[in-house]
Amino acid sequence: MPFALPDAAVVASSLASGLLLGGMLALTALGLSIALGVMRLVNLAHGELLVGGAYLGWFALQQFGIDPIAGLLLVGLAMAALALPLQRLLIAPLAGKGMEAPMMTMFGVSIILQNAYLLAFRADTRAIEAPYAARPLHLGPVTVAEIYVIGFVVSVLLVVGVHLLVSRTAFGRDLRASSADPVAAAAMGVDVQRVHALTFALGAACAAMGGVLIGTAFAFTPSAGATWLLISFAVVVLGGIGNIFGTLVAGIVLGVLQSLGGVLLGDGWRDFVGLALFLAVLALRPQGIVAAKVR
Amino acid sequence: MRFAFQTLRAAALLAASFAVAGAAIAADEIVIGASLPLSGPLAGFGNYQKWGYETAVADLNKAGGIKIAGKATKVRLVIRDDKTDPNVAASNTETLISRDKAVAMLGSCTPALVNAGALVAERRKVPIVAGCDPLGAFKSVRKWNYAWVLFFDEGDLATAPFRMMADYGLATNKKVAILADNGPDGQVVGGQIWPATAKAGGYEVAHSSSFPVDAQQFTSMIGQAKAASAEVALVDAIPPQAIAIRKQMASAGYNPKLLVMEKGAEPEQFAQALGKLADGVLVGGYWDPSFPYPGAADLGKRFETETKQTQSQHIADSHAAAQVLLDAIAAAGSTDREKINAAIAKTDKSYVVGPVKFGADHTSRIPITMMQWQSGKAVVVWPKDRATGKLLFPLPAAN
Repeated sequence: MPFALPDAAVVASSLASGLLLGGMLALTALGLSIALGVMRLVNLAHGELLVGGAYLGWFALQQFGIDPIAGLLLVGLAMAALALPLQRLLIAPLAGKGMEAPMMTMFGVSIILQNAYLLAFRADTRAIEAPYAARPLHLGPVTVAEIYVIGFVVSVLLVVGVHLLVSRTAFGRDLRASSADPVAAAAMGVDVQRVHALTFALGAACAAMGGVLIGTAFAFTPSAGATWLLISFAVVVLGGIGNIFGTLVAGIVLGVLQSLGGVLLGDGWRDFVGLALFLAVLALRPQGIVAAKVR
Repeated sequence: MRFAFQTLRAAALLAASFAVAGAAIAADEIVIGASLPLSGPLAGFGNYQKWGYETAVADLNKAGGIKIAGKATKVRLVIRDDKTDPNVAASNTETLISRDKAVAMLGSCTPALVNAGALVAERRKVPIVAGCDPLGAFKSVRKWNYAWVLFFDEGDLATAPFRMMADYGLATNKKVAILADNGPDGQVVGGQIWPATAKAGGYEVAHSSSFPVDAQQFTSMIGQAKAASAEVALVDAIPPQAIAIRKQMASAGYNPKLLVMEKGAEPEQFAQALGKLADGVLVGGYWDPSFPYPGAADLGKRFETETKQTQSQHIADSHAAAQVLLDAIAAAGSTDREKINAAIAKTDKSYVVGPVKFGADHTSRIPITMMQWQSGKAVVVWPKDRATGKLLFPLPAAN
């Protein structure tokens, strides 16, 4: 296992790539974080919602020629529209029955979705083709993928957008109230069921938009969701459950540390670094690395 | 008491009738089983294999089936999805043998899956014939008694790029980057054969990295290969990783002169997912419909007509493996597993992949060619006497 540092340009490029990719990881994890924070829902189908977004982006490009970035909000809206009835039918009836039943329901949903993708799109590996998907961007000696830069900017904008939605709107106020004490919020006239449905849809939309970016930068298959679910869990735990800016910081920290692990130990050790960090934070600081909660 | 006796007698009669019915089913058809990766990262291979197996069996049934004790008997192929998971491949094999009553098996794809199923078949003394398992990785597991593989040898495959470069006199700076997954064949090809062949051919391994088969990010290793100015890049990875690596090579501005991507660049989905980025990528191959073997041209055409997809070499090794097994059952004239196994050992015939004759190590070698993606089509570019197109060299610039 080589520990010697490679040349400075490789290190700088890897760390810059990690930072940029971290932004995308934050977006992919945001939906999981708010569903967990507001609804106490361990959404084990989060990875499949992400992959669903990648398929929607791929389909929009193949059938209608819609650029993946230009169609990002469209994919988010489409996934939110699909997620709403899912929540109403499967999650809402389980309200007040503890965390296990909804969690296992979502596990079932994840299996159903994987098989649905398999039937609809076959098991082939796919990637969303775009001119910027594999184009390099040179900044002096540092070279990063253009899609990473685009993905980072888009992700930060969407995370800030979700933060504003939660902190500056009436829906956000209801969401925060439902998160803090759903019984008291209901007593004060907040329609907690509606808030939960919209929160689930918002989370699914974030996952789907993250999926489009992931599908453009990498490749995906019907069963690719599990990998991204695991990474999303690590980001959520690092950032603190339901903490929107914490999720962004955690995504970036994870991206940079994974890249550092890749540079020092080899790319094969990236996931090890991420999961070791996940376990360490879980043991030492279960509330997450970012102290202040935004919600 | 009388009621209990009658119940017992009815149950005994019911059990007896089931046993008779079971025996009748067993006599009416010959069941062979296959566990295939129809989902998961290797589904791209599994779907071609499924077509190859099913086509061979359907053709045989159409021609009347196999004579067992003088009676024409149809063959029923039972396929189970192993989800690209060796544990599922093993349990599928167990199920196919014990529940589906398969008298013989056809293999999955890649050493991890084929060997997992073959070990179960070996333990149950059920013959299994497979393609899609490089011979070195197959032979290294154990001395086989009931498992048989017809495929290429890793040594042939791994040395092919170097032999091709020598044959064509391709000019590079002789610096090689090796990026290989840590699966069984990745370790053999990327960890042993490529470095040894490079050294023997006067090449310098400027960078070498290994990664888990489910990795997605390769920026560091690609950056190091670029920093080392390696003009020859050799990659061994399954399709999702191969696609991600090719994209990340381009986005890192790394353009080697020669790019070989074993395993991952084989299925058509590689070219479909990458578009123009696939152009110029080389992959070891062993079959093309243009090869002068019985039924080769027809098989390729048939696949494309029936499925509206471009043919793949995996239809050939799977079709040949199925025919070898079916011929052996016919030669044995029996569903006795020992007799079928003995008949497989005596195979000496030309199939769509060329001549098949098993050695003492239970393998039959298929010669290697080099294929290259050119405008969405896989073209044979080496050896010269089999080439169906001209080699694109150097690798076209990505951006």
